[in-house]
Amino acid sequence: MEDVTLRIQRFDPSTERAPHLESFIVPLTEGMTVLDALLYAKHRLDHGISFRFSCRMASCGSCGMKINGKPRLACEAQLAEIGTTVKVQPMDNFPILRDLAVDLDGFFAKHAALSPGITRKGDPGEQESPTGEYLMKPEELDSLVQFTYCIKCGLCSSACPTSSTDALFPGPQALAQAYRFLSDPRDEAWEERLEAVDRDHGVWRCHFAGTCSSVCPKGVDPALGIQLLKRHVMSGRSKQKRGASLFPNPNRGLLEPEG
Amino acid sequence: MRESRMMQIQYATGVLALGLVTVHLLMQGVLVPYGEAVSFQRVLSIYRSAVDGALLEILLIVILAHGFNGLRVILLEWRQGGRWTRGVNWTLLLVTIATIAYGTRTVILAATGQVS
Repeated sequence: MEDVTLRIQRFDPSTERAPHLESFIVPLTEGMTVLDALLYAKHRLDHGISFRFSCRMASCGSCGMKINGKPRLACEAQLAEIGTTVKVQPMDNFPILRDLAVDLDGFFAKHAALSPGITRKGDPGEQESPTGEYLMKPEELDSLVQFTYCIKCGLCSSACPTSSTDALFPGPQALAQAYRFLSDPRDEAWEERLEAVDRDHGVWRCHFAGTCSSVCPKGVDPALGIQLLKRHVMSGRSKQKRGASLFPNPNRGLLEPEG
Repeated sequence: MRESRMMQIQYATGVLALGLVTVHLLMQGVLVPYGEAVSFQRVLSIYRSAVDGALLEILLIVILAHGFNGLRVILLEWRQGGRWTRGVNWTLLLVTIATIAYGTRTVILAATGQVS
C-alpha cells in the first residue's frame, strides 16, 4: 500500500513565535481524503494536531484549510487526486488559534453585520406569526438561489487578496450574502443594505480578482454577487424595488382541530 | 461623499483619460513628428489655442482626480482605522485641489502669453 507524506503546519501562538511544518507518514487507503489522513495522524501519530471538522461531507464548512497552497475543504480533497506529498496549512487571512484551526469570530461578525436575514418593514408581525406565504417567481429565485448554498466555510475570504490587506473589508462571503438578501423580493431593508456596503471599506474595495469564486466548494460565485451588488449600489438606489405579495396559506387551518 | 460617487468619478475619469491620453499621444508623436511636437514654441501655441488649451486643462483635472483617487484606494486598503481613513481622504483631496490649481496656473500663464 502506498504511503502519503502529510506535511502539517504546526503552530501554538501561546508558546511559539513562528509556524513550522511537521511530516507524518499515513498509509493511503481507497477513497481517503485529506481529512481522513489528518484524523489518522491525530489518532495514531500525534494527538496534539489541532483542526476543525464535523460532517465529513462538504456540508458544514468546518474543515476549510490550505491544501498544497489552495484553500479547500479537507473532507472533499481526495488524496488520490492530489499526490503522495500533501502540505496542509491553515487558511490565510484568519488568526491562527492552533495548528490548522483558525479564529472565525471576525468572519462571522462581518457576516452578521450585513443583516443576513429577510427584513419586513410593512408587516413585521408576519415574520413572527405568519398568516400566509410570499410567492416568488422562478426567475426571481434563480437570480439568488446559488448564494443560498453558502456554507460559511471561509475559503473565499481566505483566497481574497483584498481581505489579506484590508481588515475592515467585509469579504466575499458577507458581500455575496448582502446581495442575496438585497435581491430577494421579500426583503424590505433595501436602503439599509445599500448603505451598509457603500462605504470606504465596503463593496468597492473588491477588485474582481475572482479567487473567491474559484475556491468555493459549493459552486457559489461570490465575485458575481459582488459585481451585481455594485450595480445595485450604482443604479438601484433610486429605483423602487418590487416586493413580493403575501398570499394566504391555502393549507392554513387544515391541521387545526375542528370545533 | 459616498464611496459609490467616488467610484463613479473614478470610472468616468478612467474612460475620459483613456480617450484624452490617446488624443494627446497622437498629437505628440504620431500625427505630429515627436521632435516638432515638443518644440517650445509649438507647445506654447497649443496652450494659446482655446480648444487645445481646454483639452489640456480637462486632461490635467481628469488624470489628477483619477490618479489621486486610485492612490486613496490603495492607502485605505493598506492600513485601516477611522483616523487613517479621514486623514487619507482629506489629505488627498487637498493635494488633488492644490495640484490641479498649480497645473491650471501653468495653463493660464501660458495661454495668456505670460510665458514666452
